Amino acid sequence: MTPPRSAFGAPPQGGAASGPAEPAPRRPLGLTWIRERFRAWWQARLPLTDQWALGQRNVYILPTRAGLMFALTLVVMLLASINYQLNLGYALTFLLAGAGVVSMHLTHGNLSGLTLHLRPVTSGFAGQPALLEVVVHSPGRQRHGLALRFDDRARHGGHPALCDAPAGGETHVQLSFTPTHRGWHRVPALVLETDYPFGLFRAWSVWRPAGRVLAWPVPEAAPPPLPAQAAAAGDERAAQRRSGSELDGVRPFRRGDSLRQVAWKKVASSGELVSRETAGLASRSLWLDWAETGASGTEPRLARLAAWMLQAERAGIDCGLRLPGRELPPRQGEAHRRAALDLLAQWGGA
Amino acid sequence: MIAGWALPRPSQLPRDARDTLFLLAVIAWTVAPHLMHLPAWCGAMTLAVLAWRGWLTLKASSLPSRWLVAGLLLLAAAATWGQERTLLGKEAGITMLVVLVALKTLELRARRDALVVFFLGFFLVLTHFLYSQALLTGLWLLGAVWGLLTALALAHMPVGRPPLARAGAVAARAALLGLPLMAMLFVLFPRIGPLWGLPQDAAGRTGLSGSLRLGGVASIAEDDSIALRVRFEGAVPPPDQLYFRGPVLSTFNGREWTRLVPSFPASQRPRLDLQVSGAPLRYEMTVEPNQLPLLPLLEMTPDLPGAAPALPGWLITQRVDGQWQTDRPLLERQRVTAAAYLQHRHGPQEDMLGLRDLVDLPPSANPRTLQWAAELRALPGLATAGGLQLAEAVLRHIRMAGFTYTLEPGPYGENAIDEFWFERKLGFCEHFASAFVVVMRALDVPARIVTGYQGADPLLQDGYLIVRNSNAHAWAEIWVPQRGWVRVDPTAAVAPDRVRRSQRLAPTPGLVAGAMNTLDPALAERLRGAWEAMNNRWNQWVLNYSRGQQFDLLRQLGVASPDWADLAQALISVLCGAALAGALWAWWDRHRQDPWQRLQARVGARLAALGVTVAAHHPPRERGRLVRQQLGGAGEPMAAALEALDLARYGSDAPLPRAALRRWWAVFARSASSGSILAGRGR
Repeated sequence: MTPPRSAFGAPPQGGAASGPAEPAPRRPLGLTWIRERFRAWWQARLPLTDQWALGQRNVYILPTRAGLMFALTLVVMLLASINYQLNLGYALTFLLAGAGVVSMHLTHGNLSGLTLHLRPVTSGFAGQPALLEVVVHSPGRQRHGLALRFDDRARHGGHPALCDAPAGGETHVQLSFTPTHRGWHRVPALVLETDYPFGLFRAWSVWRPAGRVLAWPVPEAAPPPLPAQAAAAGDERAAQRRSGSELDGVRPFRRGDSLRQVAWKKVASSGELVSRETAGLASRSLWLDWAETGASGTEPRLARLAAWMLQAERAGIDCGLRLPGRELPPRQGEAHRRAALDLLAQWGGA
Repeated sequence: MIAGWALPRPSQLPRDARDTLFLLAVIAWTVAPHLMHLPAWCGAMTLAVLAWRGWLTLKASSLPSRWLVAGLLLLAAAATWGQERTLLGKEAGITMLVVLVALKTLELRARRDALVVFFLGFFLVLTHFLYSQALLTGLWLLGAVWGLLTALALAHMPVGRPPLARAGAVAARAALLGLPLMAMLFVLFPRIGPLWGLPQDAAGRTGLSGSLRLGGVASIAEDDSIALRVRFEGAVPPPDQLYFRGPVLSTFNGREWTRLVPSFPASQRPRLDLQVSGAPLRYEMTVEPNQLPLLPLLEMTPDLPGAAPALPGWLITQRVDGQWQTDRPLLERQRVTAAAYLQHRHGPQEDMLGLRDLVDLPPSANPRTLQWAAELRALPGLATAGGLQLAEAVLRHIRMAGFTYTLEPGPYGENAIDEFWFERKLGFCEHFASAFVVVMRALDVPARIVTGYQGADPLLQDGYLIVRNSNAHAWAEIWVPQRGWVRVDPTAAVAPDRVRRSQRLAPTPGLVAGAMNTLDPALAERLRGAWEAMNNRWNQWVLNYSRGQQFDLLRQLGVASPDWADLAQALISVLCGAALAGALWAWWDRHRQDPWQRLQARVGARLAALGVTVAAHHPPRERGRLVRQQLGGAGEPMAAALEALDLARYGSDAPLPRAALRRWWAVFARSASSGSILAGRGR
């Protein structure tokens, strides 16, 4: 069964979705290890959801270092007020204490009530940043100083994306996440945090989005040239179908046509976007075969196939993909390219 | 106009620059009141640093190196050391704090630096209260706190360019919402004494002093600040009866009067022997901090139950000279209630050895006055006269001999009394009182000087009689056999208005007050009255709030003999109550769900009871499909209801009213129960 192509929807099997070739997690030592374990335990408690509504159950709050410093300042001010018997000193100290306590509620309230959801994530090559777009919706008032980041800062980078959420509206926040290897990746746990208004408290909520990202295999950097044309019986049919109607003719541009196919001269003269359709192009179809890559090992083969796929696409060649037990008929265009790369990305056989 | 010098409008500045300039302005505002009492170099340096920082911001130049800042700090520390010989005292500490805040603005690199500025700023606000806790100071510094909180909020709005007004509103909102907590803490936080001794540098403000040197009262005469406020239970006594007794000065060294230095054993010293008659005059008095260990109570307040002043936590005694003494200086405003008797007698009835101290004069000082007294004594008719007759004669001389009452008599030299009595004849109460006492002593009549306050503002404010430091007065007491000490006010002989109509020593008005007086003296007086009434309330309710008031509050709440532990308990229980209420609210709020979501949860639970598992995110239509699929015909009414709900919910943009959801639930629940019966029968 093919896992759904969309980054959303229930995962095909329970448990953590991971690529077939995920390396064993490194074993950090000491405190880091404890922290990792704690985070894993903590995250396991959290449900995987498409939408995350922040409320009392999932917003946590603690004083920041600045908050502790503020408390220390207040203690010093209280001591000074006591020692010099300053009633206005007391008033000032208590005013600030009151504002500090209120700021705790404001900080919590700045997150509480928000809802988050993740827009579908487009697949990309492993090692290339994939853009996560999170929609922050504020049903009530305006929210300031929100920061979205990955929970595991060490692995995914700690730079938060800052945003404000308008009153009764939504804002889009983008974070990039780099899958290390091909295959399905769970979108890492995200943290939405804020220390608005005074920075004395930090409220945060950890969200494990249910979404997944498919990372395509990294194409081989310098692949050998495309294999020689091996026109099989299968593609003659396609060639005939194509060449039958309009030879060397043009047709209106269709989505998926490569830019090379566009008859730019015609476009310039007629003003309409038209694509060239020639028998020559159609006949140049190619099968890329798992068995004939000339590379050994799963990953190098996949890398070569991916590189060839891209090459053929650039050259405007219809090319099909033949993996053990799976076949993708020769075609062109963006959709085809994606389908082929998706197939490669999910390849689980040896 | 030179274009290069044109300042950009705030709206044109980059956000960072605008925020920095705002913070600098807030710091300048916070520091400003300190400029009056800090060394000039400190004020100049602070303002220069702030201006420089502002300039750097406007020019978007880079900040100076850390070494330069550290150098400036060292320079400031050296200057402070040179001036105060310490870096830790009050003045030195505040000087350093101001410089530190200003210099820290040159280091605003990271967020942490900004936070340091904020917290130093809050502390800086507190230091102002060491100098003044007046209403205006409070308002000014409230502005400073608001500014600091606004800047703090601004620093935590990282996105875009939030308007200052919005940050200000957030700061105000936090402070206002915190008001109940603040008020509760203010009212209930136990007021305990100084933790490590009295602040040594708190003394030295205005007020009465424990000694009198000619010229000393002149400075008080120009001090129009309020010394005390009195509210009488009954009618206010006439002004010439309003003598508030302060230190009694009996020993004279030729230049300066001090308290009695007795030269006789205790058994020979005169005692107070206060006898009172008539109706008691009950009054409540609020005494401003006078830095002296005394209460200037109305003459004469006896040490009798019900009449003696009481201040919880203070040891108050009446001295043998009739003045009320406290065990420590009044460093904060105190409110006492007491009762005075205008008809009283005090002092020994018979002559005794101890009274010889009260005729003692330095033999070499003021020889001409002594000579004059001897000549007076030799006058026919006065040779055998008693103290009262002699006093009458001396007062007559004062009235007739061309003495002038003035606030600016000029400086007096070595034999001040001689100079005053024979040559200049210019002076105010202390000159008259001191010359009178010297003459009386030269006439062998025991006499002494009493200092204190006399008279009050003619109009009551808020029911309070206002006594100012310019009401400070010095008068005399002479001892008369069978009568004891008798008050004689020689100033009344030359300036009866001063005593009878209780006209204060009027200083020359300042520029603004002068202009206002020329415009409309009545308006000026009214404004002043209103202002002082407000100030009085401020003092009564805010500044005067101390342990006594806290205990009164607890007594009103039914605590028999409150102590500070009761206060702490009250505070803790109120805090716990508030926390509990907050927790209850949070619990309620947690269960408060969107009605739609709650309905979905209930539907899910009901379906689960029927054996149909649906996911939380399944819309009603999908649930209907699952019901139909799993329950078949038995589930048909439920499925239909679910589909109808789906249509109602997603068919239009308007949200479903709560009542509609409730009605739907009634229908659905009925169909579900019948559905379960059907399903049961089917099985």
